[in-house]
Amino acid sequence: MQHFALTIIGRDRPGIVSSTAEILYQLGCNIADSSNNILGGQFAMILIISHPTITDRDEIEQAFSQLEEQGLSVFVRTLKPGGEQRPELPGELCMISVYGSDKPGIVYQVAKVLSENNINIIDLNTKLIGTAERPVYVMMCETLLPENLETDELKAMMNELKNRLHVDISVRTVTPVEL
Amino acid sequence: MAVREVLVYPDPRLKEVCTPAEIDAQETDELVQDLVDTMYDSGHSVGIAAPQIGVCRRVAVVDVSHSKLGKKHNHGLLTLINPTIIESTGSKVMREGCMSVPDYTGNVERAREIVVQFHDRDGQDQVVRCKGFEAVAIQHELDHLDGLLFLDRVSNPKADVFKRKQ
Repeated sequence: MQHFALTIIGRDRPGIVSSTAEILYQLGCNIADSSNNILGGQFAMILIISHPTITDRDEIEQAFSQLEEQGLSVFVRTLKPGGEQRPELPGELCMISVYGSDKPGIVYQVAKVLSENNINIIDLNTKLIGTAERPVYVMMCETLLPENLETDELKAMMNELKNRLHVDISVRTVTPVEL
Repeated sequence: MAVREVLVYPDPRLKEVCTPAEIDAQETDELVQDLVDTMYDSGHSVGIAAPQIGVCRRVAVVDVSHSKLGKKHNHGLLTLINPTIIESTGSKVMREGCMSVPDYTGNVERAREIVVQFHDRDGQDQVVRCKGFEAVAIQHELDHLDGLLFLDRVSNPKADVFKRKQ
């Protein structure tokens, strides 16, 4: 079965999910994982879909032409075999909260330190809040630490970054519990 | 004494409201033993409820004493027969998963502290005050007795990143 990644984005209004799901249903596509959120005034959908026979992404894009006419942008990416499967993600789960007066480079500086230390970002949300005069940036980052890295080491790195960027940063471990 | 198979959703038995168990009965005692065996056998579980092994009775066992999160406040192995929560205060959010719903976790808000009344394995009426992880685990297991899964209580879902024991 061929898998595709489908991205749809456009000005938010009621009915975007419904129209998308209807087209997928008519095509005979399965929706596997998906993430659908409002970002600013835009509604952004990212879906992993599959179809038992369609292998050509143009065929899928074609079916979405009516949505594009309604002002939504649609993009389809063909996944390589196995690209739909999430790999095993071992390691300690850490939540990092970064917030402070908005300034250039917050995401970059934080992500740079994480990347240099082989820390995997598995979920990232950012939001600009506050007023136009005093904008505040909030970044919520869920990460997986590599086996050889302790939470305290990450805390130390983030503390250094906090002083350098003049933002507030806190790190805490998340322990999923199976009950 | 037996390790039983843990049922996985969509098994309809997980969505049933369980009936009270008979106190001081051999049938109930055998069920308790199976629950204890199954819970400890899984290695990582801190609680299991009767419907998870296909028995529609109001019985659950909880033991958070071996878990890092439950080290501080716990009552060891709790055998909860016909349990009811008679008091609950505060709130606590934990990222929960469930043996009966593999590959999924979600943040669930529950009471931080509870008082639970139940019959123990010897048929004695007990009232115990629990907090923290133990309180969360009990609330999770008691939900099973009413056919509720943590999925019914998730405030926001997260991808499954359990370090699963093979």
